[in-house]
Amino acid sequence: MICVVAAPSALAQTDAQFAKANQEYAQGDFKESISSYESLIRGGPWNANLFYDLGNAYFRTGDFGRAILNYERALALEPHHPEATANLQIARDEAHALELQPSWPERYLRFATINQYSFTAAVAFWVGVSCLVLLIFARRRSAMAAVLLLAMFSILAVAIFSIWQLDRGVKGRALAIVTADNVQARIATADTANSVLALPPGSQVKILSTRGDWIYAALPSNLRGWIPAKSAEQVRL
Amino acid sequence: MEMSMRYPHCGETVSAVAQTSKSAVSQVSKPACRAEADQVPIWKSAIRQVWKPALRTIAVFITIAAAQFARADSPSITAVLNNSETVLGQPVQLEIQITGAPDAEATEEILADGLEIHRTGSSQRIEMRNLKLTSSVIYDYTILPLRAGRFTIPPQTIRAGGKLLQTPQLTLNVADLPGRSSGGQPSRGAQSQPASASELVFAELIVPKKVAYVGEIVPVQIRMGFDARVHPRLVEPPEITGQGFTAQKLQQSGENLETINGRPYDVVTFKSAIAAARAGKFEIGPAKAKAQVVVPRTRSAPRSRARSPFDLFDLDDPFSDPFFSNPFSQLAERREVEVKSEPVALEVKPLPPNAPPSFSGAIGNFTMATDAKPKSVQVGDPITVTTTISGRGNFDRVNAPETENERGWHKYPPSSKFKQDDEVGISGTKTFETVLAPNERKQSLPTLAFSYFDPVKEQYVTLRSEPIAITVQGGPATANVATSQPGSSPPATAAKPNSPAPVTTKPQDILYQLTERPRAVESFEPVYTQRVFWAAQLIPLLALIGFAGWKIRRAKIDNREAWRIAALQHEAAELMHKLRRNDASPREYYAEASRAVRVKTALASGGREIDPNMVDAETAADAFKLNGDSRDRLRRLFEQSDEWQYSGAHNGPGRISRENRREVLELIENLRA
Repeated sequence: MICVVAAPSALAQTDAQFAKANQEYAQGDFKESISSYESLIRGGPWNANLFYDLGNAYFRTGDFGRAILNYERALALEPHHPEATANLQIARDEAHALELQPSWPERYLRFATINQYSFTAAVAFWVGVSCLVLLIFARRRSAMAAVLLLAMFSILAVAIFSIWQLDRGVKGRALAIVTADNVQARIATADTANSVLALPPGSQVKILSTRGDWIYAALPSNLRGWIPAKSAEQVRL
Repeated sequence: MEMSMRYPHCGETVSAVAQTSKSAVSQVSKPACRAEADQVPIWKSAIRQVWKPALRTIAVFITIAAAQFARADSPSITAVLNNSETVLGQPVQLEIQITGAPDAEATEEILADGLEIHRTGSSQRIEMRNLKLTSSVIYDYTILPLRAGRFTIPPQTIRAGGKLLQTPQLTLNVADLPGRSSGGQPSRGAQSQPASASELVFAELIVPKKVAYVGEIVPVQIRMGFDARVHPRLVEPPEITGQGFTAQKLQQSGENLETINGRPYDVVTFKSAIAAARAGKFEIGPAKAKAQVVVPRTRSAPRSRARSPFDLFDLDDPFSDPFFSNPFSQLAERREVEVKSEPVALEVKPLPPNAPPSFSGAIGNFTMATDAKPKSVQVGDPITVTTTISGRGNFDRVNAPETENERGWHKYPPSSKFKQDDEVGISGTKTFETVLAPNERKQSLPTLAFSYFDPVKEQYVTLRSEPIAITVQGGPATANVATSQPGSSPPATAAKPNSPAPVTTKPQDILYQLTERPRAVESFEPVYTQRVFWAAQLIPLLALIGFAGWKIRRAKIDNREAWRIAALQHEAAELMHKLRRNDASPREYYAEASRAVRVKTALASGGREIDPNMVDAETAADAFKLNGDSRDRLRRLFEQSDEWQYSGAHNGPGRISRENRREVLELIENLRA
């Protein structure tokens, strides 16, 4: 009963806060709007527009690294968000951000999202299992059911492979964005170690492992190196 | 082929020395006692000598195999002088090495003004690097300067493996030499041979230069000669003593037989290089070594023996002793002797001031070539710049070339590898790989500069790479071409390549703010990690379980019905069999007949599952849809059965007539659904 009463009230409150943040942005109070958007994000729930707007606010303040981070988050929630896609490209051009190159399977499999592949896998699995049950219990074996069974399990295998490939790919859960300035990827976990690559803000890295305050990451140009953990933020919260 | 002809007693060289040619050994006329010397050579065991032909045969096979392997690689050629400086009358060795083309043939003679160059031999070398066999053919030339001056040996074109290879142009400096005094010769330190056991050996230190610069690599040779009959054994390897210079590890470069003053000597040559650490006048050497030699036991009696045929010059040769003609006649003794050369003076000059910024201490004569890959990249992508520095000098001080204008580039520490072309590493090629990443659009690579000091020209030389055009896409264009000029002030927009501030073009504006807030809650977690996804899978799972349960139950039911029908059919068949027999009493007969009708009725009822015990005449007649006559007959059958069952056993006749039996059988057999 309490939940039923409290939910619309909370929703109205976040709507008001969202409108306030938008107004602050419109008035040019970008830092205020950033604070409001981040407060909304902390409280949840999340949606792509919220991160997109926060990215715009960061862009206006010249923080291209965080702008790119939030555009990437918007796209992670809604891969076909046209505004986020457009602004992300602009921010990348401004920051000279480096991008990770996806592997060729990942390039082709990106036409659908992980969630779409998950649903496809589920449907294919159950249809396939149903065909199998029918084949077991039917008095007469149906060739149609056998073909369908084979097709469904093939679709299931492709879907599972796609999920695995996308999840560990450059847009997967390990994707992080460099948010600090003057970040140097190094060959060892020391500020004095030799530099591997200079990473402009907004550059993509893929976290491979962490050690203390350092992240070992796959870098653009097929390089690998250590970067300070504070200098990058993971896209997926 | 040249041969060393040095007279240890007078310490004077009367002809040229070319000690590196291995073929020189076989072409020397051997004295009669050479057989003894062959039995125990200086550095090689007798076993090695015995197996020498076999080893040579194996080497031939390896050479053939290597040649097969080497064909896969593209052939290459190198040309190296053993010394870039000499004095008039002092020959210099030229070695042309062709790798990967065993069929290559070099010219017999090279034409060069002021020089007489003849081919003196050839050899084949097989190397295994990283499990890969490489075959090389080495052609040795002897260069005899005809006059003093600076001479150029022109590039030689040699056809190898279907390709035309060209040797680099080499320069030889020949100093003037009035007369043949030792002062003009390359500095040599040699020891005169006293008339004792030690006179059977000699050593000389050859330093080709008298003046050098600090850090300059000066090649040196140590020649150690042993009378071929003393069966020498080296106890301590040679070393060059002295202060103020560093010496590289000595490498044995050759061994040959020389006839000096009528005596056969096994001469072993060691090569090394020295580099002076400071300016001043130094004494290099002496070079010292210890060896054991076999000499005849000393006799106190005055010499009474006849002169040895080897002692041509009546030098009181200890080998005139009869011991050498008959070793068993007297005992010999092994004696340790010190082999020591004379020191050689070397004047070391400091390097001139005003060295170029890219000078890292390299002294010698070098060439530089640069290449880059890839030539088309995106901003931030790495470009590998390969710089090859070839020549002759102190390669340990040859560092990677400096980038003259690094603006707009990110440079990574270079890697290097060195391939030496001679034993001591004075000649060779050092390759550097430097990774450069453009931070903005560029049209060419920055110029690379490498400086060295040329001791011949006595000046610093700076080599600069040719501009290499590249294409860099993405990012802003280079702000100002003028920024590539050293010393010019960079524009503020290009000062910080990674700066988020706009550079030269007006930045594109981002799209508008979205004020609509969708109600749908979105998550970064993939749907397959969410509980609701897996909970939803319960729906098809339960549906499938329900379907399967229903199908199983149906199957069980079908199975039970089948069993019942089978049992009824079996019972019906047995009853019919009994009815066809004549031995049953009327009571049994009618009971079985009525039971057969009931069973057949139950079977004919199909899915209705009629219990046979519940079947009466009317039910059976309805089930089989009998007409009036048959119905009456069936009714009468049931009545008779009941009569025989319930009214006692003795009503009516004791047996059933054949007619009645046939009638009953016919009635039952005609019951068909």
